[in-house]
Amino acid sequence: MFSERAAPAAQGLLGPPSAEPPTFPRVPVLGYSDCSGPFRPGERSFGRQYAHVYAVRLAGMRPPLERRARGRWGNDVVLRKLSELQAGEKCCVVGTLFKAMQLQPSILQEISEEHNLVPQPPLPKYIQPSDELILEDELQRIKLEGAINVQRLVTGTILAVYGSEQDDGRFLVEDHCFADLPPPLPWNGPSSDRFVLLASGLGLGSGSGEALLSTQLLVDVVTGQLGAEGEQSCAAHISRVILAGNLLSQNTQSRDTINKAKYLTKKTQAASVEAVKMLDEILLQLCTSVPVDVMPGEFDPTNYTLPQQPLHRCMLPLSSPYTTLHLVTNPYQANLDGVRFLGTSGQNVSDIFKYSSMDDYLEILEWTLLAGHISPTAPDTLGCYPFYKSDPFILTECPHVYFCGNAPRFQSKLLQGAEGQRVLLVTVPDFSTTQTACLVNLRDLTCQPITFSSFGAEDED
Amino acid sequence: VTYKWLSYTLGVHVNQAKQMLYEYVERKRKENSGAQLHVTYLVAGNLPQNGHMCHKVAVVREDKLEAMKSKLSTIASVHVYSIQKALLKDSSPLYNTDYDIVKTNLHNCSKFSAIHCDAAVPRMPPDIPRAQTSLQGSSQRENETDAPSAPAVNGHGLPAAKHPSQQHKGIMGMFAAKAASKPQDTNKETKAEAPGVSTASSKPPTKNNIINNFFGKAAMNKLKISPAPEQPKEEKEVVKPTVAVAEPESSPNPVVEKPGKRTESAKIQQKDRKSKMKRVDRSDNEEERDPENAKRKRKRIKQLESDSSDEEDVPPPPTPEEEKALSPPPVSALKTELEPAAMEVSVGGRKRKRKRVLKSKMFIDEEEGCM
Repeated sequence: MFSERAAPAAQGLLGPPSAEPPTFPRVPVLGYSDCSGPFRPGERSFGRQYAHVYAVRLAGMRPPLERRARGRWGNDVVLRKLSELQAGEKCCVVGTLFKAMQLQPSILQEISEEHNLVPQPPLPKYIQPSDELILEDELQRIKLEGAINVQRLVTGTILAVYGSEQDDGRFLVEDHCFADLPPPLPWNGPSSDRFVLLASGLGLGSGSGEALLSTQLLVDVVTGQLGAEGEQSCAAHISRVILAGNLLSQNTQSRDTINKAKYLTKKTQAASVEAVKMLDEILLQLCTSVPVDVMPGEFDPTNYTLPQQPLHRCMLPLSSPYTTLHLVTNPYQANLDGVRFLGTSGQNVSDIFKYSSMDDYLEILEWTLLAGHISPTAPDTLGCYPFYKSDPFILTECPHVYFCGNAPRFQSKLLQGAEGQRVLLVTVPDFSTTQTACLVNLRDLTCQPITFSSFGAEDED
Repeated sequence: VTYKWLSYTLGVHVNQAKQMLYEYVERKRKENSGAQLHVTYLVAGNLPQNGHMCHKVAVVREDKLEAMKSKLSTIASVHVYSIQKALLKDSSPLYNTDYDIVKTNLHNCSKFSAIHCDAAVPRMPPDIPRAQTSLQGSSQRENETDAPSAPAVNGHGLPAAKHPSQQHKGIMGMFAAKAASKPQDTNKETKAEAPGVSTASSKPPTKNNIINNFFGKAAMNKLKISPAPEQPKEEKEVVKPTVAVAEPESSPNPVVEKPGKRTESAKIQQKDRKSKMKRVDRSDNEEERDPENAKRKRKRIKQLESDSSDEEDVPPPPTPEEEKALSPPPVSALKTELEPAAMEVSVGGRKRKRKRVLKSKMFIDEEEGCM
């Protein structure tokens, strides 16, 4: 789509200079509204226990789940709480899942003196055949067995199970269901081609120069310096750029400051300082030409717990005066030109990847959408703010574009829902390794990857 | 030589730069001049990959150009990326060239681009810490509308932009910043002496930085009005700060400053109001330099006001304030340029206003002295 429009004028620049080359005005932003209000905590007190998160999550998701259960198993299905269960009666229970995993890194085990264990090295996946599923609600818990895929599910999911309690105290599951897609949002998309560029994992400060030229090429394409006239006019239709996390590379997380004594590391500058300066310059180039949304990621200088707060304006002195720069939270939600975007920098998906048998990032993304929650593993294995009033990660409305950053490769899928929802799922690849970004066409919800490459010492491309 | 480097150096649109490179290559090849030119091209197009139509953008050497073109199913654009004499092993020299040229032109990086975004104007927030950026923003817009002299303007844009990050350190930090940025400013100024307008238009933001630190919100409104009417007046005054700052930085002696000030005053004496300014200039100078000795200076200032001779160049207190000594001459010079100009903008009660402003300044100084 992008390329076909540009093709006619492809060879135009292989010729003598023309009189006055055209300048294309950037398509103006029709409508932008930031909907990530729920992701900014008003007060920041960490004095509460995390159990409240599960309580509000259950309370928030119980009504839609009950509706869904009735729809699936009949209107007269008996809905019970765990405390009201009677043996042998077929009923439906709504609760939170807990997966007891042997390999799960536990802080208590680590500091346990009697075991004298060395801390467990990080594994790619922590699942084991001996994992068990337990369903919890407000007061009790019960072990689950039966027609339920233990490997696939993760802790923190709210679901409804249909089955009966056995004599030995376990619950035999016959069927289960999730909250499924939330109710759809009205579609106000643009009528002409408008693109949004999604990129993540720029990985600045890594010390490898290969990705730097590709990053520069990316900036050049977006700002309209690269390419013949056709391509430049197409690039003028890019109405926004979203950088989904991991702007700095993992190398900037220098562990020296933690391990070494303070007097040894006093004079050395953190690697992230240089990387942030580079980021500032790149952002400045982008900001002078296109609105940019910057989301923090796992290795970026902001808080660790989800929802990550925006990078601070003072770190980017050159580019922050521009109104086109928007520093936004990690799960980011916004209405761009009438299309609702929702996405994260990938921490939720990679966490589920570690604790579930699902291997495909797109599959995981789709599953979180169906489960109705952005990151079910949040307080358990992923850092999270102790919410107690409401859980902002519950999906209440169905976005039109749902993305996650820092995936190993690019994937996209258009999901059609039962109530007429259309969601474009995009896994944005890590730019520093793949040199690929995504172009989403807002008009028809299609997505095209765009790769950059340069030539290196070796002969082949 | 990349197309971007050419575009910035010559001040042409990027597309024209690409076409120029192409024409150069064609001509040289036709002439068979013997010097081997190596060209890299940029190819972009659709490439079926992993089941999707991937839009690929690649920089390729000339010998790989045809191979890449054949791989792409539709070609979106082809143009010359760079020309060099030697065969490039990898693309890092290309990146370095581009990086350097972009770094020196950071604030105008979209000027020669093919896409112009109306929304990308620096914002003007109301509160002080970001006031410097706002004034720089307005000056940048002025710069854009003025006759574009890109290198000079960019040089100012860059040090001007660095100020907001340093303002938070307070006065000391601000002086250090001024000292650091001033040499840059002067370098660019001496290079581009002729376009006085463009250099002058960047002066208000740097002045306003200092003045904001001292005046606070009260003076902000005045300052915002002042940059506009000041531009035409400042063409001659541009030379003054140049001279003042051109003093060797390593010797922040009062002796050094004196000749600096004398040359300032000599040039100022071209006009009457400038001589008055100079008086205020020196008073400001002393005030800024030593807030602790505010009382002592205030007396001198009052004496200065009553006098009208140039030789009342009272030596500043010999306090060892190395960083401050550097910046006060240009700082005060710049400040006073704005000051009396602003005052003269108002029609009546000129002298009254000047004294009022001075008193408020002294009040603030006293405050700072007490702090």
